[in-house]
Amino acid sequence: MQTLNRSNRCLKLRSIQSLVRLNHTKSTSNTPLEDSHSARTTSFGFRTVPEDLKESLVKNVFDSVASKYDLMNDATSFGVHRLWKDTLVSSLRPGRRGPMKCIDVGGGTGDIALRILDYAKDNHYDRETTVEVVDINAQMLKEGYKRFKQTMYHNTPQISFHEANAQDLGSEKFKDNSYDLYTIAFCIRNCTDISAVLKEAHRVLKPGGTFACLEFSRVSNPLLETLYDQYSFTVIPMMGTILAGDRDSYQYLVESIRKFPPQPQFAQMIRDVGFTTGKDVDGGAWVNQWGGIACIHTGVKL
Amino acid sequence: MASQSSSRLLKLALPLVKTHGFTREALSRSVLTLPSNEQHAEPLSDSAITALFGRGDFARRTLIDAWLEDGLAHMASESSDANGGATPAKKATIRDVLRARLKYNEPVLAHLPDAFGLMASSGFHVVDPLPVLEHAARIADRACYTTGDRSLQLEWYAKRASVAAVYAAAELHQLTSPHTTYAFLDSLLDSTSNIKATLGEVGLYSEYVFKSWKGIIKSSGILPL
Repeated sequence: MQTLNRSNRCLKLRSIQSLVRLNHTKSTSNTPLEDSHSARTTSFGFRTVPEDLKESLVKNVFDSVASKYDLMNDATSFGVHRLWKDTLVSSLRPGRRGPMKCIDVGGGTGDIALRILDYAKDNHYDRETTVEVVDINAQMLKEGYKRFKQTMYHNTPQISFHEANAQDLGSEKFKDNSYDLYTIAFCIRNCTDISAVLKEAHRVLKPGGTFACLEFSRVSNPLLETLYDQYSFTVIPMMGTILAGDRDSYQYLVESIRKFPPQPQFAQMIRDVGFTTGKDVDGGAWVNQWGGIACIHTGVKL
Repeated sequence: MASQSSSRLLKLALPLVKTHGFTREALSRSVLTLPSNEQHAEPLSDSAITALFGRGDFARRTLIDAWLEDGLAHMASESSDANGGATPAKKATIRDVLRARLKYNEPVLAHLPDAFGLMASSGFHVVDPLPVLEHAARIADRACYTTGDRSLQLEWYAKRASVAAVYAAAELHQLTSPHTTYAFLDSLLDSTSNIKATLGEVGLYSEYVFKSWKGIIKSSGILPL
């Protein structure tokens, strides 16, 4: 039954992707209507899609991969994504100067939230730090909620799950100047409007609050880049087929990494919305992980 | 714009070194001294300090570098003040400039051994003296520049090396015996000029001896005239 459901989801995704390809083909014609339509397009992996369609496409991708998301992350990165997430959290040192109010956007499966709470507890005896996990995808939140049931944080004020769009969290629920720490890991590249996400982050953070983003990025070493390209375009989609029965979703995930802006450009985008960053070097505005395969960008709202 | 903001915080953190040392605490408290319309209610969090100035001791090194850089600017301004806005004809001397730099150390003297220790630690439990030597060399170079030194070629290096050695010794003395620092600096500068004069005389005498021997050899017919 589950297999059938997954097949249905894949079929749905594929049919939407066919539609996308059709739209994309159409948008190359010269009629004024279609020109205005193509003016509001965005990337969906290597394809160009209308902006308003990307959100549902990405939602379908994550609906499709939610149940196997962590397994696939482990398989495709040989567990390295855990090290990167550990590095992100340990560099932020939550709880060092007392309890923090944190928001983890796009953190459905609760990977970062759990690390933040554990770090604060284990290193600073802090059981007052709170994390609000936000995700646009209910399936991913469900996975996170399920995982937290196994922990001591379940049913405590330390953790809560919210379904919301990173581009517009909603000022009713997520008030201005209310968080000490905003984290977003492996999510922002899937958003239609990255600047809108950054603006929302700036809005909800308190003055002095920190924005931290862990995301795949650009590899600086040409040899490593070639190896990485070969691996990600051949092995990862194949693993997606074998382990999750879904090649297209993993093909999209790999393509979306290549479409994400390189480190200096993303650092500038962070500054453009009002954050202050360190210098534009590795170890300043960003810290490369494994030669730039992933990267931690940080900024401070002053 | 962003780096301007972090440089601004660094500048604001410098006066806090006196009370908080070269620490992340000094950096985090810099936002409390912003103008009232931008002032923060509480110090910056540790994660914010990491984001702006780097992890752990990297942030402290950034603060030390900013303090050293400010010290170089201070040398020029203090030396011209000491001369009452000296005219180009009456430039500050090396003595004035080095005194000004040593005076700049005074408020944070208690924290300097810690700062030099951090500068000399490479992170692999190996002492690296290069950053400390570089610090003395930069001060010597700035002192020579401020005083309008016009040495060329080998003398350029010799002059800077001797000033750097004098300053390094005076600063080391300042850490252990702050009250006698200026007298010690003066004695070092005097002995350096004595050494220089002695070396100059030795050079002149050697040249005289060499020329004399050359004349004797030529007159004896061994060398062609």
